[in-house]
Amino acid sequence: MSDQRIFAKYKANELRAELQVFDVKKSKTSAHKRKDALRKIIANLTMGNFTEMAFLYPEILKFWKIEDDLEVKRICHEYVRSLGSAKPKNAAEALPYILDDLDSRNEKVQIMALETLVAVPSPRFLEEATKTIISFINRRVIPPTVTKTAIYASEQIDFTENATRSHLLTLLLKFVERENTEPTLQVAALHALHTIHEKNIDLQPLRLPIDVAFKLLDLLPQLNEWDKALTLDSLTTAAVPESHDDAYEMIDIALTQLQHVNTFVALNAFKFIAYLLNYVDHVDENLIKRFSNSIVSLLNKPPEIQFLVLRNVILLLLSRDTPLLQLDVSYFFIEFNDPIYIKDTKLECLYLLANHGNLPRILEELEQYATDIDIQMSRKALRAIGNLAVKLDKESASDCVTVLLDLLEFGVDYVVQEIITVFRNILRKHPDDFTSSVKELVKYNDSVQEPESKNAMIWIITQYSCDIPNYLEVFKVFSSNILEENLEVQYSILTSSVKFFVKDPVPETEEICLQVLKICTEETNNPDLRARAFMYWSLLSMAHSSKNHIISAEAVKSVLDGELPVIELNTKLDPLVLEELELNIGSIASIYLKPVSQIFRSSRTRHLLQSPVLNKDRSNLKILSGSTSTVNLEGFDSLPEMVSHSSSDRSSSTAARKKMMNDYDKPAEKVNQLKGRRKSSVTSPSKISRKPSLLVRKLSMRKPF
Amino acid sequence: MVSGIYFCDIKGRPILSRRYRDDIPLSAIDRFAPLLADLEEESSVIPPCLNHRGIQYLFIEHEDLYVVALSTSLATNAAQVFTFLHKLVEALGDYLKTVEEESVRDNFVIIYELLDEMMDYGIPQITETKMLKQYITQKSFKLIKAVKKVKATARPPTGLTNSVSWRADGITYKKNEAFLDIVESINMVMNQQGQVLRSEIIGQVIVRSRLSGMPDLKLGINDKGIFTRDPETGESQVTAGKKKSSAELEDLKFHQCVRLSKFENEKIITFIPPDGEFELMSYRLTTPVKPLIWCDVNVQVHSKSRIEIHCRAKAQIKKKSVANNVEILIPVPDDADTPSFRYSHGSIKWVPEKNAILWKIRSFYGGKEYSMAAQMGLPSINGVEKPKFKRPVQVKFQIPYFTTSGIQVRYLKINEPKLQYKSYPWVRYITQNGDDYTIRLN
Repeated sequence: MSDQRIFAKYKANELRAELQVFDVKKSKTSAHKRKDALRKIIANLTMGNFTEMAFLYPEILKFWKIEDDLEVKRICHEYVRSLGSAKPKNAAEALPYILDDLDSRNEKVQIMALETLVAVPSPRFLEEATKTIISFINRRVIPPTVTKTAIYASEQIDFTENATRSHLLTLLLKFVERENTEPTLQVAALHALHTIHEKNIDLQPLRLPIDVAFKLLDLLPQLNEWDKALTLDSLTTAAVPESHDDAYEMIDIALTQLQHVNTFVALNAFKFIAYLLNYVDHVDENLIKRFSNSIVSLLNKPPEIQFLVLRNVILLLLSRDTPLLQLDVSYFFIEFNDPIYIKDTKLECLYLLANHGNLPRILEELEQYATDIDIQMSRKALRAIGNLAVKLDKESASDCVTVLLDLLEFGVDYVVQEIITVFRNILRKHPDDFTSSVKELVKYNDSVQEPESKNAMIWIITQYSCDIPNYLEVFKVFSSNILEENLEVQYSILTSSVKFFVKDPVPETEEICLQVLKICTEETNNPDLRARAFMYWSLLSMAHSSKNHIISAEAVKSVLDGELPVIELNTKLDPLVLEELELNIGSIASIYLKPVSQIFRSSRTRHLLQSPVLNKDRSNLKILSGSTSTVNLEGFDSLPEMVSHSSSDRSSSTAARKKMMNDYDKPAEKVNQLKGRRKSSVTSPSKISRKPSLLVRKLSMRKPF
Repeated sequence: MVSGIYFCDIKGRPILSRRYRDDIPLSAIDRFAPLLADLEEESSVIPPCLNHRGIQYLFIEHEDLYVVALSTSLATNAAQVFTFLHKLVEALGDYLKTVEEESVRDNFVIIYELLDEMMDYGIPQITETKMLKQYITQKSFKLIKAVKKVKATARPPTGLTNSVSWRADGITYKKNEAFLDIVESINMVMNQQGQVLRSEIIGQVIVRSRLSGMPDLKLGINDKGIFTRDPETGESQVTAGKKKSSAELEDLKFHQCVRLSKFENEKIITFIPPDGEFELMSYRLTTPVKPLIWCDVNVQVHSKSRIEIHCRAKAQIKKKSVANNVEILIPVPDDADTPSFRYSHGSIKWVPEKNAILWKIRSFYGGKEYSMAAQMGLPSINGVEKPKFKRPVQVKFQIPYFTTSGIQVRYLKINEPKLQYKSYPWVRYITQNGDDYTIRLN
């Protein structure tokens, strides 16, 4: 018999006939045949053939009476579960049978029945399920596996009455505190408590009495790996230390679990300790070392886990001023065989880790990647170098620029595009330092092709026109076929032509300016572009016509060609978001670096609970190295309310930025947030671009050599 | 928490599904294949975590399968999901030998049973194959028999809720043996000048236990840095944060059977092993080591005519040691052809599908030095200037009876309090290349 045949679509009638096969003489083979028919039903349900299979309800109910075959039982239950939501009436007919099974002596059947009760979304089932769960948890004599199922099932149901819910919660809490039970049941109860609290926002956040929390932590050595991790997970935020000593003791217990081979356990232990650090006043340097090492050793896991860990490294690097991790950059060097999403993430880590000290090593690596055979990788590396130049100080930036200029000589098409693009940002950050490179760049005037690099090139020519003797000639390359460009580039050409004129009002510039204005107002059909051209035109005519000197030429110049604000890359996230993310280390949210609350408003977000020892400011954590304290924390001490300080700081800086912002050069992207499903294809943490999504699409296009 | 687990074929179409919670629409998985296709079209970057209409698709790839877990909440622990998926594939591997589309289709009943046992309501339960095998017996094709077996042992063994959840009672062997393999994988990136850019040693201690009853094992290892007690540790126990311990320590990872608190306090590895093979511990060292197999590669490209490659390989290991199955993979341009080789040892062939030449040396004794030269033709017409190829030289090797870190097993004590049998521990050492033992070409 082949299973393949089972996975074929059947009509209800065919199967009905097969189910009724009954031959007294060959009772055994006919039984097999019927069982096969049952299997076919389940296979069809898996394939989504619901409408046909729903006709078979009465037949299935007949099979319910067969007591001695577990597979048949399993199939019957599976059938009701799959069709329960579609046909609640029929499911109700099955209810008595299910209730019968609950009292079965076979615990497997009991478990099946309970699961079915929970799975069918109808009020009667819900009522029965609630009753059964409570009675199962209450009774002590039933097998532990059944109790466990009951506890987990309690997480699933939506309570109609608050009284039942609070009754169940007290039951569960008692269970957690109960002595001499199976530890795994206690963990299940703890998890159920945790989940029910998360699910129902009207409840207070779960907070366990401190002694219960310690009792649970003491259970750790006896638990299996999954339970260990669940315990650590549930205790994060639920176990609130009352004093520093409590916190240290908890850290001590959890620390051993960092060495567990199962990533789930190790990462949850990590999260739990990171959470507890909010309740201590200082940490030892060795702890940081242990932390870092445990993270690094997780990088030797399968790629998916490695990816997750790397995303969390990003989170941790972003989150604190005094980082919890001290990692050597070499762990984030890209390996030849890494999947692309890992390479991507490693690049981000390298970018975040870069500082003046390790820059030479990082640059050397990035230069390697920039000549990588993979175009995408190469572009990302180039972009990273550019962003580093913007992020770091002048001295480091000049190192980056040297590398970029070297690579420019390489002359490959996409390298040129990318370098021109990043250079605009570098020049905006360090306007006066790299003027000499501009000439180098302008040489590649003819090879820029992509809209973004064209934009950048035009901007550079405009901004440094005084350093380029033949700038108008260069500019004409672009302005002469303005009609064929895309909108973004058209804007740039328009703006630049006006700027040239304002800067240096001579007949040549006037001619170009008028020409462009004319094309934009008369020959294009984009209303925005036309409106902008008209705006410039009227502005210029107000200043230059002899009749009405409404605005002086100077004023126009300052409007059109004013000083540009210095750009900055903002890599910090909102402190509240960070707090939440740090309590969710290892979760899917940590991959996207997005808070849970942003997407699911209904679910409870994790926040730190109050305690006399809770640190008001997370950056206030002192790291002590063995005997002498090396970290100078005076700066922190003088600022008791760091949180409020930093927020005001931020708002003032954004206000300042807003004031100076011109509309043709957008500010740096605010936060490094991953956008939707294209999350890891976002190049590097924060980049300056007009439309990140568009850019990403361009970057990720596969191009043949 | 996971809402459902799906096995999908190479295109992402579901073959087999098990839903654990009712919070996702049935059709959710049908979106997976188009999602993959869309991403494929857009970019080659497909991260293992996708989001579509509020449903999270987390998946791993194995052979020609996607194993997908669906979840609705961002708070779902991805570490849990990925670890579980890997464990699941591992457990299935023990049942089905190979886990691929065909074997999944052929054995869906047993997979359903396994999925039922390994996860409840999206929470992982028992994942140790040894324990699972006690009540889910493999009769992949003879389904009827399997069902009967299940009936006979319908009661799950008490082990499931015991504290020693990874080992069943009542195991007996005629001869009691324990095999210990210490495997060290070297990851190293060098440049053409012989400068080591990055190196690390990843060690694994793999135990295969064939022991009766509930034996308690004690493992002693020589390494000073790791296992001797820091004299200061004894006293400064005031707070957790302040505790001192040696640096290498944190790189250790242990199997769940090892008593972590005992190790933490006394630096002794004690454990009750699961039956059969498992990874007892793994460690990582970053002490700089010199390349064990060093290749001096010299590539000369005479554009439009030929490419010349000279390679000198040296085994920088002890005279007595020998490196087996050495493989050196040297990249060549993809349009190179007509290879000709000169070499003193081993065998060389051109592997066009990898665009490389492969030099194999069966056994390479310590201190020896071999060399080879290859010449390949390049097409005389060259359309567009291609960017330089930038693939590294990859080296594979195995060195038995040798560990780079110098780690050694001092003793392995086996004690079964009830049975008191005689037992035989065996130890083997091997050093091999890791995933990334490469030499970058300039």
